[in-house]
Amino acid sequence: MFNRNYKEKMIESVLFSVSALTVVILFLICLFLFRNSLFLFNDFSLLDFLTGRFWYPTSVNRQFGLLPLFFGSLIVTVGAILFSVPLGIASAIYISEIAHPKVADFLKPFIEILAGIPSVVFGFFGLVVLVPFVQKTFNLPTGQTALTGSIMLGIMALPTIITISEDAISSVPSTIKQGSLALGATRWQTIYKVIIPAALSGISAAVMLGVGRAIGETMTLMMITGNTAIIPSFPGGFLESVRTMTATIALEMGEVPQGSDHFYALFAVGSVLFIITFLINLIADSIKKKYRFKVD
Amino acid sequence: MTEAVQNVSQSQIEVENLNLWYGEKQALKNISMQISKNSVTALIGPSGCGKSTFIRCLNRMNDLIKNCRIEGRVLIEGKDIYGPDVDAVDLRKNVGMVFQKPNPFPMSIYDNIAYGPRIHGANKKDLDGIVEQALRSAAIWEETSDRLKSPALSLSGGQQQRLCIARTLAVKPRIILFDEPTSALDPISTSRIEELIMNLKKDYTIVIVTHNMQQAARISDYTGFFLMGELIEFGQTRQIFHNPQERSTEDYITGRFG
Repeated sequence: MFNRNYKEKMIESVLFSVSALTVVILFLICLFLFRNSLFLFNDFSLLDFLTGRFWYPTSVNRQFGLLPLFFGSLIVTVGAILFSVPLGIASAIYISEIAHPKVADFLKPFIEILAGIPSVVFGFFGLVVLVPFVQKTFNLPTGQTALTGSIMLGIMALPTIITISEDAISSVPSTIKQGSLALGATRWQTIYKVIIPAALSGISAAVMLGVGRAIGETMTLMMITGNTAIIPSFPGGFLESVRTMTATIALEMGEVPQGSDHFYALFAVGSVLFIITFLINLIADSIKKKYRFKVD
Repeated sequence: MTEAVQNVSQSQIEVENLNLWYGEKQALKNISMQISKNSVTALIGPSGCGKSTFIRCLNRMNDLIKNCRIEGRVLIEGKDIYGPDVDAVDLRKNVGMVFQKPNPFPMSIYDNIAYGPRIHGANKKDLDGIVEQALRSAAIWEETSDRLKSPALSLSGGQQQRLCIARTLAVKPRIILFDEPTSALDPISTSRIEELIMNLKKDYTIVIVTHNMQQAARISDYTGFFLMGELIEFGQTRQIFHNPQERSTEDYITGRFG
């Protein structure tokens, strides 16, 4: 008897340690990230970093200005949202409300496969197909632009947006749908006046998670956006090369001497990125919770 | 005799030899029925007998179910609603429906009522009047007039159901179908809805499916008893309850099965 109790306790504590490990690892990564970032601010001011317009990490007069990288990420992400949100929501509506169940069952696995493609493959496809296409279409010196990145990133965010929006739309009770149809509403009126508003918070959560996916993406963007660290104009900047925060870290981390200002500056960029994605996930999560409550 | 003749001339819904299949399974067998204008017709019978399926034929809600096949004719005001020139969307404007579970839209009380008139192109300046009138007709104006902008889901279950009735009235149908409207409600809410239904028959033709035989006896003028997809007996409520012609009707009404 004692032996069995002891065994149960053992298993319980092993499982607890394993789950606790995740939290510990996350905590250590945060600590490591923020601690290394702080070293930058021994020599540079936080304000200069956050509002600096130039990222010249290796010139004699070194400058670590976040803005070109921040706006690089921003323009690519905004573009990706403009591209993927209408497309994603339209697909979600089609799959959950309009398509014959057989068609929906046929489409869904493909969307999931899209989510499983490694980002380097997206990057390669973008480089070989999309970059020359953009260059020719807009008659540009290079096709490696923010637009190219936006389109590719939009495609990559689609599975997240479609799956979660579809989930939200499908969980609108069918009794509500029938109520609308019984009043003489058409199927389309029912979709856009009742179902979409009822699923709106779930759809917003889907969009936020899609954005989170887009902001953190590195490899694809590094391959197809040209990596020029200049603050892009708007909206003309879509046809210029940009460099995102993620690409900057990936590109420069290998070259940089450990313990240099540049090294710490990259950590600071990483911290900013971490804070942004953390906030976005937090928002998405709270929207999602609200929407669950609503459906109950 | 004169009464019977009058009924035929006033019948608003005529169902002739209606058969319905879900896939291979036949759910309605050769139903014929005439429903009089400005009356309450109750449909009773055990679960799965086809009474809900039947009223869903009257506003073509069964169109939404895949593999559902219908034969026979349903004439409303003389016109076959399954005819090729009939649009189910237009039909449902004239034949409203209130469901078993209150199903208000997740929007304000006002918007719930205004939804139907809006999609049917009501003038914006008329909406306030339409909403007030619908809420008054459904006997829920007193409780909601000071909070039209609050969410419909904040109302109690019974209030939600009266809101759904008001929502249906706002479209100005001529016929209203009730599919077990009180089965999810407490006795007090139920009696308010029954009272409401009896008042509504002045202006509307009402068909109500109910599990509750006392309810059928209390509020209806005519009663139809369904069993296993067949209409066993149909007639004046008084007669069905006091002098049923069929043995199974009597057995059901006296509670021998069900």
